[in-house]
Amino acid sequence: MQLFNYERIRPWFNYLFEGLNITLSLAFLAAIFGIVLGIILNIMSRGRMAKKIAFAYVDIFRGTPIILQLSMIYFAMPRLIGSIAQTYFGYTRPILLTAFTASIITFSLNSGAYISEIIRSGVNSVDPGEIEAAKALGVKKWYIYKDIILPTAFRNAFPALMNELITLVKESSIVSVIGLQDLMRRQQIVTSQTFMYFEPLIIIGLIYYVVVKLMSYLGHYLEKRWSYV
Amino acid sequence: MYNVVNLEKTFGTETVLGPVSTTFTPGKTTVIVGPSGSGKSTFLRCLNGLETPSAGTVLYNDQVVNEKTLPTLRPKVGMVFQNFNLFGHMTVEHNVMYALKVIKKLPPEERRRIAHDVLERVGLLDKLKAYPRTLSGGQKQRVAIARTLAMSPDVFLFDEPTSALDPEMVGEVLDVIKDITQQGFTSIIVTHEMGFAREVGDDILFMHQGLIKEKRNAKEFFKNPQSSEAQTFLKKIL
Repeated sequence: MQLFNYERIRPWFNYLFEGLNITLSLAFLAAIFGIVLGIILNIMSRGRMAKKIAFAYVDIFRGTPIILQLSMIYFAMPRLIGSIAQTYFGYTRPILLTAFTASIITFSLNSGAYISEIIRSGVNSVDPGEIEAAKALGVKKWYIYKDIILPTAFRNAFPALMNELITLVKESSIVSVIGLQDLMRRQQIVTSQTFMYFEPLIIIGLIYYVVVKLMSYLGHYLEKRWSYV
Repeated sequence: MYNVVNLEKTFGTETVLGPVSTTFTPGKTTVIVGPSGSGKSTFLRCLNGLETPSAGTVLYNDQVVNEKTLPTLRPKVGMVFQNFNLFGHMTVEHNVMYALKVIKKLPPEERRRIAHDVLERVGLLDKLKAYPRTLSGGQKQRVAIARTLAMSPDVFLFDEPTSALDPEMVGEVLDVIKDITQQGFTSIIVTHEMGFAREVGDDILFMHQGLIKEKRNAKEFFKNPQSSEAQTFLKKIL
């Protein structure tokens, strides 16, 4: 018995590998939107009322499985919006949401919740003395936040942020359940076509592993470069 | 310049300051001395609103110091901290230029000119591109002084500027502060360096358990302290 049938899997190499496009664009876009959302949530957490909304948001997105969030946004949301549009605006055409858009939305909303926590701990690590010095110079609150607190917070939180990005790359494999052809989904398709399990799994496994490894090296490299010395 | 009326600060049930009343006249150097926990730093921090008074008022040129007046007042009142509090993610040059940009809204060329000017005065022109982390304590404090000086404030508040320094670095910082006091700035200095207090102080303000026990000409204070608390204090440290 042959464990790894190279000849049979060879024609599928390209097909599998192209899934990386989807996986990586999903992870990076979600990270960028997530950071923006994380900053917005952090700013909200400084207001008295907005703080409660931000807290509830983070609580819900961290307290439910991402596969549920994905199903909610991909399957349930278009129907819900459709029926609202029909009832109130008489709009009868179906609301369409591609699997890719739904995935981006879900992972952005989800990582925003986690990233806001990362930013919060970064903000807490800023030396209160620096904030006081800026205050004493007469610098306004918003400038202190933008120029002193956020840059320092991001630098302190950089390893955690990189970690979140790595998590996104791995967890994005969930999108295979709504049929988006990322690495994971392509393995399932190859398996259904060829009845091979081991070979495509090993291949996408290697791709995931190498990408994650490269990202973590890049993280260490940037971390060193950005230490102020 | 400053007129302090019945100023009080309490944390919870504990009164750490006051009630105290005093005035500061322009161009003079006042040194605040007293044992630890006598409310010196709290008093100083009330002068630029870093602490909000529990009672009483601080008047700066007849204007009450409060949330509303602070934005216009703070750029005129420079403060130097015990722990330097430089912005760690900015170079020395940017530390000095930052407030000139966001508060004074000066053009880049002007900002750079002023930064180089004040850094030359504190003898650190060669550290323009260095980050605070790479500097010694004495150098950090000189940068902090330059950062304050760049705003050309009317008053300088020094909050124990040499307390966090290694002994061999105290001198270089005191020299810079002395230079400032001789330029005719109004300075209010909290310090434990008695020799320095005697040398640069016009007036000494002696505090004990949150109260001002004595405020007199520096020479007289050291020669002949009036209050028994000041006498004990001086006996202990001199």
